[in-house]
Amino acid sequence: MAATVVVRDPWTDLLRRVARALALPAQRIASALRLVLRTPSGRIGLPILLMHLILATVGPWLAPYSATEFQEPLAEYQLQPPSWQFWMGTDQFGRDILSRVMSGATSLIAVSVSGAALGIALGTAIGMSSGYRGGRIDEFVMRVMDGLMSFPSLLLALLVMSMLANRPAPLEILQSNWQNILIVVTIGVVTLPRVARVIRSVTLSLKTLEFVQSARLRGERAPYIIFREILPNTLPVLGVEASVRLSYAILTISSLGFLGLGVQPPSPDWGLMLAQSRQFLGSAPWVALGPAAAIASLVVGVNLVADGVKQASGLPREKAAT
Amino acid sequence: MSHQPIEGAPLLEIEDLAVTFYTPRGTVRAVRDASLTLHRGELVGLVGESGCGKSTLAFAVMGYLPGTAEVGGSLRFEGRDIARMSEPELRELRGNRIAMVYQDPATSLTPTMRVGAQIAEVLREHLGMSAEQARERTVELFESVRLADPGAVGMRFPHELSGGQQQRVVIAMALACDPDLLIMDEPTTGLDVTTEATILDLIADLKTRVNAGILYVSHNLGVIARVADRVVVMYAGQTIEEAAVRDLFKNPRHPYTAGLLSCVPKPLAESGAVTKLTAIPGSVYPAGEEGVDACLFADRCPSVRDACRSEAPPMAPTDVGSSSRCLFWADVRPEIWATGEEREETPAANGAEEVLTAKSLRRFYGKWKRKYIFFGPRVQPPVRAVSDVDFKVGRGRTLGIVGESGSGKTTLARAIVGLVPLTGGATVLHGEELERDVDDRTRGQQAAMRMVFQNPTASLNPRMPVRHAILRSLKKFTGLNSRERRERAVELMEAVGLSAVYLDRRPDELSGGQQQRVALAGAFAGNADVIVADEAVSALDVSVQAQVLNLLKEHQREKGASYIFISHDLGVVRYVSDEILVLYAGHVAECGPADDVLAAPSHPYTEALLSAAPVPDPDAEPTRIRLEGAVPTLREAFKGCCFAGRCPRKIGPICDDTPPPARVGPSSPEHLIYCHIPVDELAEMQRSGVGLR
Repeated sequence: MAATVVVRDPWTDLLRRVARALALPAQRIASALRLVLRTPSGRIGLPILLMHLILATVGPWLAPYSATEFQEPLAEYQLQPPSWQFWMGTDQFGRDILSRVMSGATSLIAVSVSGAALGIALGTAIGMSSGYRGGRIDEFVMRVMDGLMSFPSLLLALLVMSMLANRPAPLEILQSNWQNILIVVTIGVVTLPRVARVIRSVTLSLKTLEFVQSARLRGERAPYIIFREILPNTLPVLGVEASVRLSYAILTISSLGFLGLGVQPPSPDWGLMLAQSRQFLGSAPWVALGPAAAIASLVVGVNLVADGVKQASGLPREKAAT
Repeated sequence: MSHQPIEGAPLLEIEDLAVTFYTPRGTVRAVRDASLTLHRGELVGLVGESGCGKSTLAFAVMGYLPGTAEVGGSLRFEGRDIARMSEPELRELRGNRIAMVYQDPATSLTPTMRVGAQIAEVLREHLGMSAEQARERTVELFESVRLADPGAVGMRFPHELSGGQQQRVVIAMALACDPDLLIMDEPTTGLDVTTEATILDLIADLKTRVNAGILYVSHNLGVIARVADRVVVMYAGQTIEEAAVRDLFKNPRHPYTAGLLSCVPKPLAESGAVTKLTAIPGSVYPAGEEGVDACLFADRCPSVRDACRSEAPPMAPTDVGSSSRCLFWADVRPEIWATGEEREETPAANGAEEVLTAKSLRRFYGKWKRKYIFFGPRVQPPVRAVSDVDFKVGRGRTLGIVGESGSGKTTLARAIVGLVPLTGGATVLHGEELERDVDDRTRGQQAAMRMVFQNPTASLNPRMPVRHAILRSLKKFTGLNSRERRERAVELMEAVGLSAVYLDRRPDELSGGQQQRVALAGAFAGNADVIVADEAVSALDVSVQAQVLNLLKEHQREKGASYIFISHDLGVVRYVSDEILVLYAGHVAECGPADDVLAAPSHPYTEALLSAAPVPDPDAEPTRIRLEGAVPTLREAFKGCCFAGRCPRKIGPICDDTPPPARVGPSSPEHLIYCHIPVDELAEMQRSGVGLR
């Protein structure tokens, strides 16, 4: 070692720095995933979820047929049962159901993840701040949350969609995605109070602990204490909460799709597919089977992972390699 | 019911017991090699630090070990091996023959059932008594554990009883089926000293009345000295010394025992000279390690020799009739721990510059509430946790604050540092009045006053590396740049006896003692003038406690910091304090120089506290004064003396009606006793022991 000549190259140096900066978060995530994989639920749920994520990213390109174009002549391709050519059969317009299912994952997952993420981020911030402040402000904020929570989520979403979806967006840039943005915001609003409540109660018990008191004694300001001292300690709860909220978001969006208010066309929507398949349920049940299986497996996958996270947070952490 | 064993045959015989747990985290050798015998009518104390396998041994005797535990050796109860018994046999044994009392009485009782019904249930289930018989027997049992009003107490719910009463009920339940073996696992650890003393009296009394063997597990040598006939000392899963109680305390024959004894601050030093505490270096041999062919204590032993590291010592008989797991037991004497070094004196009271002054501090919790939302009379006054407390702390001096739980110690500490705002009064630091809330104080004032908490695990953010708190304190309170801060952090860690590698560890990788030292390093970071230590050593084992206490003293000598040291343990407070303030129900009962406060004459409350404190000396005379009940919750100002309700020396209605005058003690003008009894009368009473109610 002593004889090694150290060559200082600025680019390698920069690369090394970037690698070093990324190494720790990557390690954390990897070790968290390994922990989840050690639980039975995680072992089943993670692969399911992974499959959906792969479909969401590359599904439209992998799909054997177009998801939207009708196949002619209609009479030949209409409502075909599953075969080697069409694994899940075809629908009333002769479209391959497998291709439609594969293409539908992208927008559903994108919209539900952003909706849940919005709600979780806001809910966490509000819950932690309100719980840490305490007193009248906390009381007021929590009553507002109760008020928000009293709206049935589907009804609120329906209201928002039917009132605003057909109006022009307030900003030109938003117009192209207007319907999806409305869904994201609605899901966020519905998720927010539930997350806020859980995180507030965790904060209430954390803020009495000595390490928070001792941070106050060294003169730390409230935002620092909330985000640097308390937030990291809510992560196990937050992980569980996030996966539960995500599965609710998926269900809500699929239900909206079923009612015809879902993800913006032209991307195929599982909920809408399910709704349209109802009329053929007697003669061509496979039309319903594809999208139903897709929704169910996604929700089951997310829930299993949630369960795995919950179990894993009780497990001992892996010893850091020394 | 006639399983009277042959006279002389041991009731419980444990031989070469080894208990190993296989967990996902690795193998835990909780008990490595433990042997003990227990006869009927005998109380054997099992003592050792945490992690030495005491509780596992107790659980093994109850047959409570989980299936994953591997048990080696033998564990015979009246000749039958408990470890090989079937589940129905064990159930029969547990219900009728062996009973156990746990540390926390509140969790041993069902909160939704009246306590009498809980005991009656045991009687009907195990002894087949009728409801009527069970009720009568329950009252008898309550009588036998000396519960006041045994007829009515059974109708209460557990939450309506004080901690001491709850523990009595639990003991009554354990006695319900007339067990042959009673296991007590730290039964007084969660209780106040005053309550502990009354429970220990009960146990000492039960020992003579009940024809059973008692295995008493405790970490507290004072408690063991008070109740045990024989003592077994455990270290790292091994029994390392077994002796009659007097021999153990007078002639320890194992270096560990001798070390434990010298770790405990003696509350009653004859000459008045306080010797420096011994600390056993290092920590307990980890249970995760495999055993080696060596003495497991070798690494911490001051008189270790080559032979100790090459062969595992067996239990061998010694000259005083005890047995010891030390090859060189003949050479063990207290001096191997280098005691006798006198503690350095702190600067004299008169010369010391005043650092912190508290002027009639007051802290009330809650607000006046009206009977209806806006109308009606004002009901439910606030709780007066601290009312009108004055004190002064000089530079480089230590003020000890003692009192039972509920006396307002912690509230006082938190009010001083500004974690809870004062309701009235003022804290003055270096002549400047401090803001009531710590957030409003200046950076300099925040740096000048730091706090060390009781629970070391909770004092460090579990998700942050250990360096976090220290580096943040340095950033806030010093003008150092980040490299200098890192260097200073290493220095601070070394000052508290930890190497720099610990800076990057997570708190859960550290032991309790190490965590508390990190907390100290954080408190030292800003060169604080005043450090408030709230029960800072109470959660630590005695050997570690001594390390931390010595560290505090050393820091004080070097930097001249002042301490406010809060503890319920009089021995510890006496060891560290120059002045002592005795707090009762939020009021000062007595204050003054430490030696004067702890010597007669003193306030009746101080006297009661002193006589309740267990002394690690089996020959110490059991003292007479016992306080029943607990500190009252204070919704109204006292008309008279705050202690009148429980005072054993109450002289009459004057105590209830008139606030007690401050009487000056005989040896120092700063010694104040708030009592109606004149000082010389008090002195006379305490010398002769008369005048007790």
